[in-house]
Amino acid sequence: MIPERLRSNLKREFDRSLLAKLGLVLLVGVLLMAVFAPIIATHDPTRTGYVDENGNEYPPRGAEYTTQIGEDGEFVEVEVEPNEEHLLGTNNIGQDVFSRFVYGARTSLLVGLLGTGLAVLMGVPFGLIAGYYGGRVDDVMMRIADVMLAFPSLVLALALIGVFGTSGIGVPDPIVMAGLADGMPESTAIPGTVTIVVALVTWVWFARVARGEAMSVRTEEYVKAARSIGASDWTILRRHVLPNSLTPVIVLATIQVAAVVLLESSLSFLGFSGTTLSWGYEIQRGQDYLRTRWWIATIPGIGIVLSVIAVNLLGDWLRDALDPNIEGERG
Amino acid sequence: MTTPDDILRVRDLSTRFFTQEGQINAVSELDVRIERGEVFGIVGESGSGKSVTARSIMDLVESPGRITDGEIWFDDAELADAVGDDYPDAVDGTLVNLLELPERVRDSLRGTAFSMIFQDPESSFNPTLTVGEQLAEAVEVQRRASANPRSTRARTREYSLASYALSTVLPSRKYVTPESRERAIELLELVGIPDPVKRADEYPHEYSGGMLQRAMIAQALAGEPDVLIADEPTTALDVTIQAQILDLLDDLQAETGMTILLITHNLGVIARMCDRVGVMYAGEIVERGTLADVFDDHVHPYTEGLLGSIPDLEGARGRLEPIPGNVPSLLDEEMADRCRFADRCPKAMEDCLEHPPEYPAAGSDHHEARCVLAETTYDETRALSEDHFGETERPAADKHAGPEEPDEEPPEEQSHPPTETTGGEHQ
Amino acid sequence: MSVGDPLVRVDDLRKYFWEHDSLLDRLFGDEPVPVRAVDGVSFEIYEGETLGLVGESGCGKSTAGETMVRLQEPTDGRVEFDGEPVFALEGEALDAFRRAVQIVFQDPFSSLDPRMTVGDTVREPLDVHGVGTERERRDRVRDLLERVGLSADQFDRYPHEFSGGQRQRIGIARALAVEPEFVVLDEPTSALDVSVQAQVLNLLDDLQDEFDLTYLLISHDLSVIRHVCDRVAVMYLGEIVEIGPVDELFGAPKHPYTRALLESVPRASTDERERDRETLAGDVPSPRDPPSGCRFRTRCPMVIPPEGLDIERETYRELMTLRERIERRDVSLETVDTDEQFDIDDGASDEDVPAATAALKDRLLESELPPRHEAVVDEALAELTAGNWAAAADRLRAEYESVCEREAPGLGDGSHPVACHLHGAAAERTDGPSSWT
Repeated sequence: MIPERLRSNLKREFDRSLLAKLGLVLLVGVLLMAVFAPIIATHDPTRTGYVDENGNEYPPRGAEYTTQIGEDGEFVEVEVEPNEEHLLGTNNIGQDVFSRFVYGARTSLLVGLLGTGLAVLMGVPFGLIAGYYGGRVDDVMMRIADVMLAFPSLVLALALIGVFGTSGIGVPDPIVMAGLADGMPESTAIPGTVTIVVALVTWVWFARVARGEAMSVRTEEYVKAARSIGASDWTILRRHVLPNSLTPVIVLATIQVAAVVLLESSLSFLGFSGTTLSWGYEIQRGQDYLRTRWWIATIPGIGIVLSVIAVNLLGDWLRDALDPNIEGERG
Repeated sequence: MTTPDDILRVRDLSTRFFTQEGQINAVSELDVRIERGEVFGIVGESGSGKSVTARSIMDLVESPGRITDGEIWFDDAELADAVGDDYPDAVDGTLVNLLELPERVRDSLRGTAFSMIFQDPESSFNPTLTVGEQLAEAVEVQRRASANPRSTRARTREYSLASYALSTVLPSRKYVTPESRERAIELLELVGIPDPVKRADEYPHEYSGGMLQRAMIAQALAGEPDVLIADEPTTALDVTIQAQILDLLDDLQAETGMTILLITHNLGVIARMCDRVGVMYAGEIVERGTLADVFDDHVHPYTEGLLGSIPDLEGARGRLEPIPGNVPSLLDEEMADRCRFADRCPKAMEDCLEHPPEYPAAGSDHHEARCVLAETTYDETRALSEDHFGETERPAADKHAGPEEPDEEPPEEQSHPPTETTGGEHQ
Repeated sequence: MSVGDPLVRVDDLRKYFWEHDSLLDRLFGDEPVPVRAVDGVSFEIYEGETLGLVGESGCGKSTAGETMVRLQEPTDGRVEFDGEPVFALEGEALDAFRRAVQIVFQDPFSSLDPRMTVGDTVREPLDVHGVGTERERRDRVRDLLERVGLSADQFDRYPHEFSGGQRQRIGIARALAVEPEFVVLDEPTSALDVSVQAQVLNLLDDLQDEFDLTYLLISHDLSVIRHVCDRVAVMYLGEIVEIGPVDELFGAPKHPYTRALLESVPRASTDERERDRETLAGDVPSPRDPPSGCRFRTRCPMVIPPEGLDIERETYRELMTLRERIERRDVSLETVDTDEQFDIDDGASDEDVPAATAALKDRLLESELPPRHEAVVDEALAELTAGNWAAAADRLRAEYESVCEREAPGLGDGSHPVACHLHGAAAERTDGPSSWT
């Protein structure tokens, strides 16, 4: 599928670039964390309450959770400082921050990568066709895109939940099922609605960029040349327009991953993702404790930053490998 | 070499570009002497360094390029007087070595002592301001600069962002005064724009290419420069418009007596305009002299080849006799210490393996050629064998892997970087 | 050369582009404006010859070339290739046409896909038309690269590794890949240096002999046209003004535009400074609103005065230019009013009129007018100072209307037809021009 030359370019650029290697290491690291979350996590991330130094659980397992009321009737938050049991302490309802961080990688990466990928798949062909044909086709297609742009993402999410009936799809976690991790949630929620919403909200950007590129590539003489030798529109789009439009799309995609992760956070905050286990949600919630317990928001923030950097570095690598002008001396 | 009437003497000028591929010697040890009031032409192909020469004189060489060596002596008694105390090294009589002066002073010479017109008038104007405003601005800049010749800060200080913001609300704070606008209209009139009052209020896109080129000339004349450097002034224009612009430059030169340095690849334009010519190849002048010297009594095989490459408009059609091969690489590491044209030269001899100096040649006193043929006659027994330079001899197999010319000459010969969008001819 | 039927016959070809034609414009009821890039062009190209199409930028020569090979949709007209109507071709016949006709483009930088290797680029036509086996295509590409003066081992390189001249050779190799009969050369050398241009022109010449090609060379460079072509068509504002054998057309140009074009080219010789030449004033008018009658009349130094008008040629030209400016409202009255002596904004008051008129005349006209004409011009300018543009224009039109603006000259028949009233039927009716030429 991948042409030989492209493969060798990818390899050469990879060998040459330290940053590309760093990016790959980072991304693989985050992916591994997401996949093996049940093993890496120390506690069930959804369980509220905490375990104190003596091994007592508060509130006791099985008890209905309520806010703890102290002896003098004051409101006591079930937050503990980081200790051996809770590497990053617990949050205000007693959930293990570290475990939530580990699990959060799943949602964030799934939505970030899948959502962006879906948006690319929707937006790029749409934009290329609009830009390549121009005129009426372009007029109509881009007006549709404008309408999509005007749609608030929350309304879209609500509508989709209405259509699908549910916001997340619970699937059994294979690692827990295999008995590799006890005491972890048995099913994990695939945030399908959010992924689709995110794609529906962001594909327009890809369409816009691809359209602009296609419009400029269309006027290049090599496209004229291809038409004059009788190549079909499909051939021209595939062989000339797509490859020459890709660079800004890649750049945009790497930026969009970050934006999508953040968009997901606001959606999961409102409960649209079918899970609250996401970095974005953690950041949202941790903001209130930035002064006293800064790590609650900061750690997932670092997770997002690292993932985004990883994707960006890999994007650069991909762009360089695809660009013939950067190709150096040949052996 | 030391006629008192030289307005500009460039000595040993070297401009190099430091790129990733390596050091590019765009201009190497160039000597030029331009007399007051003459039209001096530099002709050459793309990558010959002619535009870089112009930019070096204007001090417009941009990074990664740098003038690495040389002197540019400019004859201006007033300037010599003004800077003599601060920079005694830079002054010799009425001559001033511009390269010894600080940035600030050189900046202030731009527009008043030298000004430049470029190939592409469309990109030289700001599309959001009227042509009149832009001209008036140029006039105003020059006026303020000449009111306080040694201080260039004067112009920037008075036109800060804050005053710009004010000027949009308060008409009285406008940078452009009625006087400068008046002068702008005069300038438009001078360059032959019909109805300048109305035209001054139009935007660049309302002008045709030829009119914009006229407006650019007007802009260049705003500071009444001593030397006008015209870098491919007609390359982007059609022949009928080109003829108009050349006539205009001719008239203006006759009227104001200014000196023109004309850079072009078009030998016809040279023949039409110039008194003396320098032919540039690979960063140096290979032949120079009066028009007659270069067109009729040329010595250098490159000049010969250049003239032989032009299809004749009047004569019968025969086969053209092009120069084989391509413009050479100017990468430092690839430049051998020999005649730079030897690998394409039909008359290359063993003597050519040494870098030739400029020899005086038959014809006028000005005629010099950087070629051994000026001294000796071609001797076939000493000719280099066909494959002396390996495959580079064949145009077919040019081994040249880097960019064929340094990036610093983007506008030249309408060359576009491959990714640039171009509609070709817009119709 | 011109024996038998032509290979290509172009008949009244038109190509308009439309402005203000988007959905929004429709919505707001803006009328689409046609830009008449090519407006009724007819010519024939015979087998084995090279026809040159020359003109300045914007004259429609490239559009004409692209439209006749169906790179653009024609607005009207008919093109025949080998006797077949080109615009009606479909399916296999269209495929065959696409093989028989190839184009070499102007810009060697943009005409090659930067992301495709040279080998793939040259091979593309073979792939599209499914010629031969994989191996045969590869061999053919190698042969072609060698033939145009590149080496076959450069097959795997990308365009950016080549110089402009080499890229143009690659473009030529691509055009030749499917063994065409007819090649449109659209400014093939205008982006190249002269020495490289000469190489490419020689190559094109050799290839024509070797493969029996027929060329249409589109160029603005008259010396290239002269060197390469057998016959030449000169275009101005979307129309052909003159067609003829190259030596005749260059040696004895009939149309004033052709003559001006030829005179404008600076010659690379020491006599150039002394050469007398008449340059054209003004710019090419917009193809959105081309002049009536002969399109060149707004710049033509030989514009024909009405019968019996006793007036110098230059003076008449000046009067016509003045009228055009009035018609286009391209005269600003303030120009003459630098000292604000007249109050012309609301129409000058009566006592100011003579002075303002004199100032205007001084500014707009260079030559002295004979008394009779001076009176006419004074009347017109008086109307102008009063703000009556239309009346001023009418006054001048009544007196000086030329045949050149009333009737569009047709391109006649014969081997060297020219679209100019000086050479057509109108020439017999007016006595003036014969004495001028």
